[in-house]
Amino acid sequence: MRIALYIFTALCLFASLWSQEPADASLPKVVLAAENVGPRQIEELTSKSVPRDYAYAWKTMARALAENRSDLLDAYFTGFAKDNLARRIADQKRTGINTRYIDHGHKLEAIFYSPAGDAMQLRDRARVEIQLLDGGNVIHREQVNLQYLVLMTPGADRWLVRDLETTPEVHP
Amino acid sequence: MPRLITFLSLALLLAIRAHGVELRGPAQVKAGSAFSLSSNGSGEATLYLVGPASVSKRKVQLGSGIPVEAGEIEHAGRYVAIVCSGGDCSSANFYVFASDASKLSLLVHPSRVRVATPNAISAVAFVFDKFHNLVLTPSDVEFRVTPQQGPALTHSQPSSNGVAWVRMTSATKEGPTKIGAAVADASELRVVRQVASDACNLRIKSEWVSGKLFVQTDPVRDCGGNNVPDGTVVSFTKTDEAGKTTVDAPIKRGIARVEMPVSGEARIDVASGVVTGNELNVAGAR
Repeated sequence: MRIALYIFTALCLFASLWSQEPADASLPKVVLAAENVGPRQIEELTSKSVPRDYAYAWKTMARALAENRSDLLDAYFTGFAKDNLARRIADQKRTGINTRYIDHGHKLEAIFYSPAGDAMQLRDRARVEIQLLDGGNVIHREQVNLQYLVLMTPGADRWLVRDLETTPEVHP
Repeated sequence: MPRLITFLSLALLLAIRAHGVELRGPAQVKAGSAFSLSSNGSGEATLYLVGPASVSKRKVQLGSGIPVEAGEIEHAGRYVAIVCSGGDCSSANFYVFASDASKLSLLVHPSRVRVATPNAISAVAFVFDKFHNLVLTPSDVEFRVTPQQGPALTHSQPSSNGVAWVRMTSATKEGPTKIGAAVADASELRVVRQVASDACNLRIKSEWVSGKLFVQTDPVRDCGGNNVPDGTVVSFTKTDEAGKTTVDAPIKRGIARVEMPVSGEARIDVASGVVTGNELNVAGAR
């Protein structure tokens, strides 16, 4: 009887460990700084979900551009950001180009959070390696620090990237 | 020694070949403005132009200006131009920045608000150019509040990173108010409905009709004299020797009315939300 109880406890423990979702190691590293945001302060839950969803957005975008699959964009993109990426993917398909991103991480800084909590603007300083391939041959490869201006809006269960614009580096 | 000279010569030749094509362009270009890339070398090459929302590939002649059409650079962001000739590729980067402000996206919250509530309404305007690029250079956004009665109020606010916003206190009188934003020739308008605040001076009276007691409120208004919206619940509570009975009734056409069976002495009081009104003492059926 006691052995059965031990086995049952061990099985429960194993099941609970198994059911815990492991941290996604393939996600790019995103760190959010929200000290200077205004006029609304970022809620604790939002301060976790925004960098998580932004990381998923980049992972999705990298895969969509590498495999020329615009259907992947639906999950984390909306509005102009989604339209622009879909157009680029359509052009990539037409010309036989693929883009490969090797993501080395993002430093996100929240700069505007609307009073009603329905829009957040962020600045992203990203370090990425970009490879452009034509028919499988690398025609361009560069390691760059890029600065993005990002607009995110809340969706049903996540934050979506609504606008993603590369801007020249601005030194404060 | 001859081997070393041959090796160095080969390396030099390779270096010259690798840097045979050089591509130059401006650091920044306005969206939708045609310009030319310059290249050295000669012969035919393939030009790739990769932008945030477009990728093009075409044959070009080296050694002369390579025109980039206005339609190829409508989206703001970083572009990479690459020319490849005989297996060697050379690239140049440039940024496209937004054109002049010509579109607005306006978020106004909430759509329904109580009167005289400080900083209850917010309006956020995003400034875009005609290609839907966020205009990052500051633009003056004019916010305009037009109440149902009275003159419009305007306030100019410069955008920062393409965003301008204001916060407003709702008016003291109920009714729809129009909130607009304008930049250059573009404007957007939203309507916010301002509704009465909590009831104020809630009063009830009773009357007997065909042996039944009816209790009704006076017209329910807030402290500013605005009619509390129909549908707002008013609670009537009767306390008699049998105990306490509460009946909820929504306001209809400005008043709430209920029938209350009464036997013996009873006290009736009224409340709406956190506001309480007067009490009535009534006695038995007539």
